[in-house]
Amino acid sequence: MDALAVEGVTKRYGAFTAVDDVSFTLGAGKILGFLGPNGAGKTTTVRMILGLVAPTSGRVRVLGEDDPARVRDQIGFLPEERGLYRRMTPVQAIGFLASLKGVAAPEGRRRARELLVANGLGDFADKPIKSLSKGMAQKVQILSTLAHKPELVILDEPFSGLDPANQQALEDLIRSVAAGGATVIFSTHVMQHAERLCDQVLLMARGRKVFDGTVEAAKSSAPRTLLLEGRFDAHALEGLPGVAELTATPGVDGVNLISAALTKGAPAQEALREAFARGLDIRRFELREPQLHDAFLVLTGGGDS
Amino acid sequence: MRRLLRIARREYLAYIRTPGFWLSLLLLPVGLSMIVIAPMAVDHATPIPRIAIVDLTGQHLEGPVAYALAPPGAPPAAIVVPAPGGPFASSAAARAHLEPLLRSAAPENVRLDAAAIIRPQGASVTVDFWTRNVVAGGLEQTVSGAIADAVKNARLKAMGVDPKTLDAMSPTVSLYSPKAAAGKVELKDRLPAVAGLAMGMLLLMVVLTGAGMLLNSVMEEKTSRIIEVLLSSASVPEIMGGKILGVAAVTGTILFFWMSIAGGLVAVRSPQTLADLAGVFLQHGHWAYFILYFTGGYLMFATLYVTVGAFCETSREAQTLLGPMMIVMTVPAMFMIQGASHPDSPLLRTLAWVPLFTPFMMAARAATDPPLWEIAGTAAVMFGVTGLELWLAVPAFKAGALATGRFDVRLFFASLGRRQKG
Repeated sequence: MDALAVEGVTKRYGAFTAVDDVSFTLGAGKILGFLGPNGAGKTTTVRMILGLVAPTSGRVRVLGEDDPARVRDQIGFLPEERGLYRRMTPVQAIGFLASLKGVAAPEGRRRARELLVANGLGDFADKPIKSLSKGMAQKVQILSTLAHKPELVILDEPFSGLDPANQQALEDLIRSVAAGGATVIFSTHVMQHAERLCDQVLLMARGRKVFDGTVEAAKSSAPRTLLLEGRFDAHALEGLPGVAELTATPGVDGVNLISAALTKGAPAQEALREAFARGLDIRRFELREPQLHDAFLVLTGGGDS
Repeated sequence: MRRLLRIARREYLAYIRTPGFWLSLLLLPVGLSMIVIAPMAVDHATPIPRIAIVDLTGQHLEGPVAYALAPPGAPPAAIVVPAPGGPFASSAAARAHLEPLLRSAAPENVRLDAAAIIRPQGASVTVDFWTRNVVAGGLEQTVSGAIADAVKNARLKAMGVDPKTLDAMSPTVSLYSPKAAAGKVELKDRLPAVAGLAMGMLLLMVVLTGAGMLLNSVMEEKTSRIIEVLLSSASVPEIMGGKILGVAAVTGTILFFWMSIAGGLVAVRSPQTLADLAGVFLQHGHWAYFILYFTGGYLMFATLYVTVGAFCETSREAQTLLGPMMIVMTVPAMFMIQGASHPDSPLLRTLAWVPLFTPFMMAARAATDPPLWEIAGTAAVMFGVTGLELWLAVPAFKAGALATGRFDVRLFFASLGRRQKG
């Protein structure tokens, strides 16, 4: 069963279309990376999934319900710009937010303590949040989205502000949440997280969906690149078979690095063979498979992520 | 409802854990106690002034003045001492001798603090009152009153009139009213007006205190974006209701504490007054009357403040919006005081139909037991407007909470009542 089904959803604010006819589904227990440049419509889409904003047209089904408000107890949400009640302790804050999701107060506090201990914050469980570091406070807020054991977890930029060790810990946490059966949606600007974690990625640009599928499928939409390094310039590689575009990066002592973007399905061997046949001074070559970042740039038409 | 109560509980606990709450709780009783205790403490610490009476009239006025200044069985207002260097032949001689003594820096228990030189002036007398303390006027008034009475009595006697005859000529006036319980107006008959004014003022205080709390609470959650988490966890009415209830509980706790102290003090000094005051609330369903307007008034203003708070991101924005409301609130404050003495004034009766003023005006008019149709009508208008306000506020609160940036007047008005249609 799909945990989430977004069907032809559009959201307009007056003459401005924030989200334009977006559709996708997400299976239960899957991890979805929500990618797109600033202003792509990610936040508006998330708000529609949460039921905070009603779509102008289209339909959102969350955990089998047309009205997300009916399943709000099964959803955990972490907003992008975040904070917590500064005077509360982590146990109190997590317990309170869990209690809003239907968890009895003592049970909420027990789960809060358990989560804090498991995530290395046991010593800070009863200290005011204002005395915690930014990273610790952020972890507390992430944990507050999980204490009620939600079936759907939506995390908006969960990795921002965390140091590499905590980013790794969060990746592990997301994997364990999904392994426990919950469906996870997270938005990120760091493609490596999406590559490592996601079963499915959804790319948006200017309010429209530009890609929906697996990470591998996304990558395949970007060209493979043949990297050639040597004492020659890009003009020397013009006309190589299967090469769509050449980009030169000047190096030292006249040694340049040329990126030759291959057309889809073009074998790299032919281009490489022809390059050697031209008698070029090739000192190094490498076939680079596309990364999600490349796919992102291709699919969104560039722009900041 | 469960979520509403959770939010209310968090709101309540968040406030009572702050030092500001305990300061609010304790400072008013301490301040009021200081108002009572401070003058007594000053009186106790100030030595009783020493005064000399120089009577140059030959009418033996020293006796009545000394009696007025130190009546038997009461604390003396002054210690009457013989005039140093007296008797004097003239007021000039008395002044020449006593004035330097009033300048001298002698110890407080032996020095002269004041002198009354009483001299004839035609058929009357003149008093030259000399004192070290030019600010306090009580001593001078006691002396002049005593001399006036003594001179008046002496004149009446000279005319063959017994002063008691004159006193007997003053009429005894008794006040009656059909609204008084026993016909004759007593203190307890005036208590409803006092209670009404007090309830109105109390509501004003609760509204003003609650306004700041509600604005700050919503603003804090909006700035930290916790509001988005709350919106994904509870409905807008639950969030607004929880906050309003939580802050009401905070102000209720403070008021209960203050009123308990005040009630305790009244009970110690005058148990009968406390019983009469309790009677005011229990008679004619006044308790329900006050609850009706108190609830309606608080709900009306609290909803407004919570909604406005959702559009503010800084305390400066909140203060800017709060300013005009404070000005509006001064109107009922002014008219309530008038209402205590003229509760049936046509202006007050008209203002009672203006929803923003209704709870205050009707509280102040409680003493006159307004007719049922007025109570029902004004309450219906007040609750109707509050209902409309809530209907408008729910979508506005959500729009404000999800918006970012400075307060946007256009967004505020555009969002009022705009249900989610997309």
